[in-house]
Order: sequence, then C-alpha cells, then structure tokens
Amino acid sequence: MEIKFILNGKEVSTITEPSLRLLDLLREKFDLTGTKEGCGVGECGACTVLMNGKAVNSCLVLAAQVNDSEILTIEGIAKGDELHPLQKNFLLNGAVQCGFCSPGMVLSSYALLEENPNPTEEEIKDAIAGNLCRCTGYKQIIDAVKQTAKELKMEVKA
Amino acid sequence: MIDIMCEVLTPENLTDALQLLAKADSTTKILAGGTDVVVGKTQGSKRFADTVTLIDINRIEELKGIFEKDGMISIGAATTFSEICKSKLVEEKLPLLKKASSTIGSLQIRNRATIAGNFVNNAPCADTVPALLVYDASIEIKSQAATRNISLQEFLQGPYKTQLQQGELVTRILVPTPKQNYAGDFYKLGRRRAVAISRLTLAVLILLNGKEIADIKIASGAVTPIGKRFPKLEEFAKGKVMTDNLLRDLSKKMGEEVLAVTGLRWSSDYKLPVVQQMFYQLLKGIER
Ligand SMILES: Cc1cc2nc3c(=O)[nH]c(=O)nc-3n(C[C@H](O)[C@H](O)[C@H](O)COP(=O)(O)OP(=O)(O)OC[C@H]3O[C@@H](n4cnc5c(N)ncnc54)[C@H](O)[C@@H]3O)c2cc1C
Ligand code: FES
Ligand code: FES
Repeated sequence: MEIKFILNGKEVSTITEPSLRLLDLLREKFDLTGTKEGCGVGECGACTVLMNGKAVNSCLVLAAQVNDSEILTIEGIAKGDELHPLQKNFLLNGAVQCGFCSPGMVLSSYALLEENPNPTEEEIKDAIAGNLCRCTGYKQIIDAVKQTAKELKMEVKA
Repeated sequence: MIDIMCEVLTPENLTDALQLLAKADSTTKILAGGTDVVVGKTQGSKRFADTVTLIDINRIEELKGIFEKDGMISIGAATTFSEICKSKLVEEKLPLLKKASSTIGSLQIRNRATIAGNFVNNAPCADTVPALLVYDASIEIKSQAATRNISLQEFLQGPYKTQLQQGELVTRILVPTPKQNYAGDFYKLGRRRAVAISRLTLAVLILLNGKEIADIKIASGAVTPIGKRFPKLEEFAKGKVMTDNLLRDLSKKMGEEVLAVTGLRWSSDYKLPVVQQMFYQLLKGIER
C-alpha cells in the first residue's frame, strides 16, 4: 500500500507492506538507523519515536497505522549541525555510554519537556520508565534532563 | 526486518467497521493499541496464529472520548490509558481507574494501549479490571445487527474467555457515576515498579456512615484466575463498625476466599500472607 506521513518535518510517501513495523520502515526504507531495536516486544524503549507528539514504541506500530501521522525520530531534533540541548546535555553529563538507549531516552525526554517544561524528578523517572539503560544507572540521564529543563527555561526568559 | 504478514483494514467510522466485521471470519482480529496483538504476532503466539487480517479501530471517533450522560460515565473502547490518566472526569469520579491506568506498562505503552484491549482477552493480569469491577462497570457491544449491554463481570467468563461473539465490537465502557462519597484505593504488586506483569491487584471502595460500613465493594485481579468481586465478604462487612479487629478479620477471610477460588498452588505459601497483609494495609490506608 502507499502511505503518506510527515517524517522529521518533511512530507514523505512510500510503498510498503501494511503490517511492516514502523521500526523497520524507518531503518530499512528511510535509512534512519538512529532508532534501535532492543527487545522487539515493547519492553525496552530503544525503538522509541514520537508519533503525533507522543512517545511510542515503534516496534509495536504498523506501517498502515502511520498513514497521515507525524513521526519524529532522533535524526529530526538537531537544528542542522547544532545539537538539541538535550543531546548536548546528555553528552556533558556522561548520559551516553554505549549509546544504544540514547535515541529512545532523548526522545522520551523531549516529549516530556514539550508537555511539561518544569518536571519534578518523579515526573522525569516516570517519563523514562519505559526506556532501559544497562550502562549509566540512570542518574546521569536524569541530571541531563534537569539541566536541559533549566536551560530551556532561561532561554524563554531571555 | 519483521512483517507480521497481515492485511490491515482502516475503517473511518463505526458503520464501516461493523460492516467489515460482519463479513469477517475468525481469521480477522481487531487491532487497537496493538500492545497485545503485535507483540503476540511478533512472538508467534498461538492466540494469534490464524490471524491474517487486522481491523484497525484507531480512526473511529465513536470509539473515543470520555463524557458523562444520564448518570453514566461513558468511556470509548479505543481510549488510551494516557487519555484516561489525563481526564478530569476520571480523576474526580473514578480515582481508582485513574490509579490503575497509571500503573500500566510504561508511558510508551499507555500512549497506545486501550481500555477495551485490556479486558477483551480476559488475561488475569489486566490491571484495570478490578477497578472497573468495583465501579460496577458494564460494556456496550455492537454488531451490524444489534447492540447489547452486559456487565463486565458477566462478560468475563473464564481465563482468556469472554462473551464476545464473532462479528462483535466493544464500543463503550459504561460506569454509573458514583453518587456518594466512597473512599477507596487500588493496589498493584509486581516484580518491579515499571513494565512488570502484576502478581496481585486489589481494589476496594468503602462508604462510611460515621464509623459504620454502609457499603463496601471489593475486587481482585492477577492472583485470582479472573478478575472478580467478593460478594460474600462484602455482605459480611456491611453494617459493621470499622474497627481494627474487623479489618483483621476481613483480611483473614479475604485470604481464605482467594485460596478457595485459586485452589492450593505451589505459590500459596507465599501468596496467602501477602494477600492478607496487602488487603489489611489497603483497608488501613482507606480508614485514615
Ligand atoms: C511492555 C508491555 C507492558 C504491559 N504492561 C501491562 C500492565 O502493566 N498492565 C496490564 O494490564 N497490561 C499490560 N500490558 C498488556 C497490554 O498493554 C494491555 O492489556 C492493553 O490494554 C492492551 O490494549 P491494546 O489496545 O494494545 O490491545 P490490542 O493488542 O490492540 O488488542 C488486544 C485484544 O483485544 C481485541 N480488541 C481490542 N479492542 C477491541 C474492541 N474494542 N472490541 C473487541 N475486541 C477488541 C483485539 O482483537 C485483541 O485480541 C503490557 C504490554 C506490554 C507489551
Ligand atoms: S525494541 Fe521496541 S521496545 Fe524494545
Ligand atoms: S548507555 Fe548503554 S544502554 Fe544506556
């Protein structure tokens, strides 16, 4: 079938099997390999992307369901060569170690800050509870999100 | 690359969906959030082995939204748990449903998973079932030929068995708006806090008249083979004064009832005291 959707801000269309997973559609048809596959069954969050602004596991969404929607992947959040503040702060805080969880972590955090620019630590933990990290122990990630929230707030004020 | 090899039909309204369902046989399944279907297909689960066609119900407006009408709170079958958690109406009138919904999976799961998808398969670990049961929920089911309403308890026949017939779609969940001020709580025990299958869920609502229990509703999930209410226990408690002794007595009886419906299993030695202790703490918390 032919599907049309907005991918990282650009309108795209492609011919696809209707029951291909969004995860594979992104990686194989659009060469967007930032989105990772961990468990393939909704448990690890490595495949997290934003669908109409909400964090979803792309291993559980079918291509046919993507028609007419808006998808944001990790490749779509930097401004050209300039990293998104979340990406920058993940690096500064040592929140990226092996990096496998990072695209999903950043996107879950991105969705959180869009909805709630001033999250408490509990709210941060809840937003990333569906993203497993085997390296960092999470503290660095939570620090990076906190620091980003602070910076974005100052930007709004300035 | 994984293609679960199904045709996906995407009706835009309820009439079209019911028409597609009327023509379909048992190789067609409904697709809502897909957190059960797509996982099942990916893992090669027997439950979905024959499924070759999926009817995606996510675009159907009639299956969405939460509103109150004629003393009933109506929740669309395809409403996601994130939507339920954000609803002011649910927060105010059905706080146990909000609490149960907020414990499901992870945010990514709650952004997709739907309320009807939670109980249509009648898995014992469906977390919203005990909360829906204490609120006396019923469901509206439609086929092309007819509409019927049935209580949730009746709908849930046995583990992984329900009253849903070929060609039928769950359209709405209906909960009578609680008229009086019930106090209550929902408790879930899993192996860890997020993304864990429940081992035990309990929901309790109590209406107090001074210190006297005017009404009480008790339901469990996960630990019992299907989500269920405890009418005998409820009758026993009604009209009694809420003392610590009564709560201890109730908790002991609760454990005995759970044991009676589950039969003795290897996990009983562990589960029985846990059920009793958790139920006691839940009641104590409500008393405060
Ligand atoms: C990682 C992970 C964590 C999870 N954690 C929890 C948890 O903590 N607690 C919990 O209770 N569950 C949990 N689940 C299970 C699952 O997410 C829920 O049961 C969810 O509510 C299923 O809804 P869905 O819309 O995704 O269902 P789908 O997968 O779309 O459908 C499930 C079944 O219901 C049928 N169906 C769906 N809607 C209708 C309808 N309107 N009418 C008739 N039939 C219908 C489908 O045909 C299918 O058989 C988890 C799942 C995953 C993958
Ligand atoms: S790969 Fe999708 S959640 Fe693990
Ligand atoms: S950095 Fe390795 S899994 Fe998170």
